[in-house]
Amino acid sequence: MKIPYYPGCTLKTTAKPFEDTTKAVSEVLGIELLEMPRWNCCGTVYSLASDDLMHQLAPIRNLIRVQDMGYDRVTTLCSMCYNTLEQANQLVKGDPEKLEKMNSFMDQEKDYTGGVTVVHYLTLLKEMGFDSLPVKNPLKGLTVVPYYGCLLLRPEEISIDNPERPTIMAELLAALGATVVDHPYKLECCGSYHTVDYKEVVCEKTYHILSSARKRGAEAVVLSCPLCEFNLDFRQKDLEQELAPMPILYFSQLLAVSLGLFDALGFDQHYVDPEPLLKEKGLLR
Amino acid sequence: MTEDIKTRMIKVYIMGREYEVPEGLTIMKAMEYAGYRFIRGAGCRAGFCGACGTIFRKKDEYKFRTALACQTPAEDGMYLTELPFVPANKAEYELEELTSEPSIIVSLYPEIARCVSCNTCTKACPQDLQVMDYIQASLRGDINQAAELSFDCLQCGLCAARCPADIVHYHVGQLARRVYGKYVLPRSQHLKERNDEIKAGAFDQEMEKLTAMGLEQLKKLYTERDIEK
Amino acid sequence: MEMIRGYPDYMRESIEKVEKTRPQRLKATFKAMTLEEREQILNEYHPDYKPEAKRDLKIGPSKGQRLPHEVADLLEAHPLIDPDDVDLSRVDYDCDILIIGGGGAGTVAALWAHYSGVPVDRMLMTTKLRHGDSNSMMAQGGIQAADRPEDSPPRHYLDAIGGGHFTNKPELVKALTMDAPAIIQWHEELGVMYDKDDKGVMMELSGGGTSRKRMHSARDYTGMEIMRAIRDEARNIEVPVLEFCPAVELLKDDQGRVAGAVLFNMETDQYYVVRAKAVIMATGGFGRLHIQGFATTNHYGATADGLVMAYHVGANLIDLDSVQYHPTGAAYPEQIVGLLVTEKVRGLGAQPVNKNGELFVFPLEPRDVESANFIRECYGRDNGIITPTGMKGVWLDSPMIDDLKGEGTIRKNLAAMVRMFERFGIDMTKDPILVFPTLHYQNGGVEINDKAETSVPGLFAGGEVEGGVHGKNRLMGNSLLDYNVFGRRAGINAAEYVKKVTPGKLSLDHARKYEEALKNAGVETDRKAPMLLPDYRGNHVLSRALDIF
Repeated sequence: MKIPYYPGCTLKTTAKPFEDTTKAVSEVLGIELLEMPRWNCCGTVYSLASDDLMHQLAPIRNLIRVQDMGYDRVTTLCSMCYNTLEQANQLVKGDPEKLEKMNSFMDQEKDYTGGVTVVHYLTLLKEMGFDSLPVKNPLKGLTVVPYYGCLLLRPEEISIDNPERPTIMAELLAALGATVVDHPYKLECCGSYHTVDYKEVVCEKTYHILSSARKRGAEAVVLSCPLCEFNLDFRQKDLEQELAPMPILYFSQLLAVSLGLFDALGFDQHYVDPEPLLKEKGLLR
Repeated sequence: MTEDIKTRMIKVYIMGREYEVPEGLTIMKAMEYAGYRFIRGAGCRAGFCGACGTIFRKKDEYKFRTALACQTPAEDGMYLTELPFVPANKAEYELEELTSEPSIIVSLYPEIARCVSCNTCTKACPQDLQVMDYIQASLRGDINQAAELSFDCLQCGLCAARCPADIVHYHVGQLARRVYGKYVLPRSQHLKERNDEIKAGAFDQEMEKLTAMGLEQLKKLYTERDIEK
Repeated sequence: MEMIRGYPDYMRESIEKVEKTRPQRLKATFKAMTLEEREQILNEYHPDYKPEAKRDLKIGPSKGQRLPHEVADLLEAHPLIDPDDVDLSRVDYDCDILIIGGGGAGTVAALWAHYSGVPVDRMLMTTKLRHGDSNSMMAQGGIQAADRPEDSPPRHYLDAIGGGHFTNKPELVKALTMDAPAIIQWHEELGVMYDKDDKGVMMELSGGGTSRKRMHSARDYTGMEIMRAIRDEARNIEVPVLEFCPAVELLKDDQGRVAGAVLFNMETDQYYVVRAKAVIMATGGFGRLHIQGFATTNHYGATADGLVMAYHVGANLIDLDSVQYHPTGAAYPEQIVGLLVTEKVRGLGAQPVNKNGELFVFPLEPRDVESANFIRECYGRDNGIITPTGMKGVWLDSPMIDDLKGEGTIRKNLAAMVRMFERFGIDMTKDPILVFPTLHYQNGGVEINDKAETSVPGLFAGGEVEGGVHGKNRLMGNSLLDYNVFGRRAGINAAEYVKKVTPGKLSLDHARKYEEALKNAGVETDRKAPMLLPDYRGNHVLSRALDIF
């Protein structure tokens, strides 16, 4: 399958392991990721102001680039990018007047027709069937919790799964052979950009999410968002409370491990190194 | 044929006032013909220096267009003005102390994070560069692409003058290129070796001989030298 | 007149002939001229060799030197300012080094003076236009440096001095060629993006008159790329720059040393007195004098101001009888007549061909020889192509480059050229372009030695304003090199010089004496110099202009 791939800025810098492992996995799964030749920042945060069309230009321009490539679907990994792109997409699909205004402003581009769908990579995997994944190195003995955060599931119109009781990541992880436990904070916000100015807010969130996971026996937390990753992982060093270090992993990293792809795991870019845990379980080569 | 070209006159509006000028002149030459003698607004006159950034409007259009006055023909009904100066902020830095890590550009020009991808800069660029794309590349730390995409920039400043986010694209591009040139492009080994040879005096004797050589002998040597194909 | 892809239909007929001969020319070469043949064609066709275009200079230390009328007119002119109008007792700027000119040479001089220990607040750069507005910015093709194993500085020396018809000052050519590789390495340190392969090997090309490939380039914006980088560096270290403030006269002190200058703010008409221990003249050349009516590739400010000021204080001039006409100035369309078509176009393989599609000259002769061949083809043999405005030119068969070096080479390596012609509807990757020689470079200038000193103490010079480096003809890629080498030497040596100098009482007596010399020589004129800027206002305006505001 060929599909345009929108990387997003973070995946080119601090979340490189997310991209690298996904690329490695895609190759094995026969997903040909066509990295868009021209793309810009997704817009970072979906603008909730209904008249602020300026901030919708960034996501819509990216969808025009997909259209220019001759495709009607684009996949992306980062939850924030997914959310911003697809929310803007929904906005213009449902409001032709706004779409027309934006098209008229972007008069040096071809008009956006509203014909592109943004597909999160997890959805793409689900379409192919989690059971069909060629798992070589089942994650036996590893107990994990999925952590969805906000952006994959809210608002409902763009949710990749049931927004209250999502199972998509749990299904994937179970298919990879891991033991998946549920926990009440899987939809909790990580504190997001408060990490810049109100570190204490994020620390509190991190502590609650991780200690709850720990209580339920989780040995690692699995997620799909570079900002959540940063908050849950790196804020562990700023916690006031005692907490045993909890490895935070992108789903793509565990997917790579289970497919026997060990070259681009990028564990050195984490604060809590997941390697000892995976080694202990005999999952690394 | 020649006569026709010389005598056909068009009307242009320089800063609002109507003038008649011959057809076929550039905007710069049309303004001069009309009687303007430039102090600011004229530099190389050949499209290399960015001194003559111009904002104009064509007959019956609402659009502001931008161009270099020395590279754009004046047309009948054009409204013209030049941009004398752009009071843009330039970051000061010691290149020696920088690195090519992805955050380097945004750390010196944090305002690039304000880019909303409106692409007005790209529309303004008289060199037809993908200006917004190189700002976006800078934002995500792709220094190679920022340097490549901005390479043909003349630093006229029209992008910055039009940007709703107050970004100074042309200075951002300059920083990207210098970082790329110094820290990403591989250094030339043969160049370094040649400089070591020169320092060690490897050519001193031969040079001494040449500078002291009589004209006839020098001519002979010159004529007989082999030429690399 | 019907236009087809940028050309009138009658020119298309000639283009068809060019296309017809192209396949066979892709393999063809043309024999280079012998020294005797070169001399003959120069005598017959090169504009420099017309005796009626020049006259003997009547006054000053270089009295008797033969110069183009346009240059002699400026030297035989009244100083622009009246010494009695200027109050030298009030000094506006006091510094160690005053750099006059904000182009390549001035900027390099500032950086190297700084490296040599002069603090930036003890220097001042003053420039007529903006910092960086200069011919340095416009050079496209490249910069020479003998840095490949199969090349050497002595070989570069031989090429340069032969190209200059053996009239260059040997000590200057030695400095030029021996410093060259160090200059390129300095640029690398500053982050200049030279064209290199992925291992760092410089991609070097031939130029007219070079026996080795030693032309370093940064696509076809070489001059701009270097100038941007050094200017950025000067801004980072905060070199003080006064823009739109040309110097109009140098100052001397009571010991006969150059000790500053009078500057003129062109926007407010105010003058400033600068006292400096040393002055570096870096004002560039004289293209905007339009010698013999030629169009020019030069920037707006290239009006020989530095020559005039240096001559007023008694500096020697050298080789000013020789003017460089670049063989390939644009000859069509009218809007860009005279603008430079870089020599790199020929360096990459494009051949000059006549109206019948015939190759008539070795494409990479030294510039004066190549120019003379073009002029002969147009006016001696009547094989030129006539433009709708009556100008003649020869074709430069640019599409050959992609045939020779692969599809896309032109767009990648000659982006500036492609853009320049595309703006007027011409696609040089598909069609040839029309060219004719254009006034390009002042070969001579204020005489310097290898320390960039002029004959007057306290006055240094670098770049196109100085002379002796290129003799009677400069090779491609040696001008960017010249301003770097001698700008650097001027900066270093001026920094050394200022350590032991205290300026005495400032004076403009030399301007008064110059007036006397004019009178004694019987020069009667209302001309004034330096001219600062050319005047291109329409005649209908000038004929009714009043000077009352």
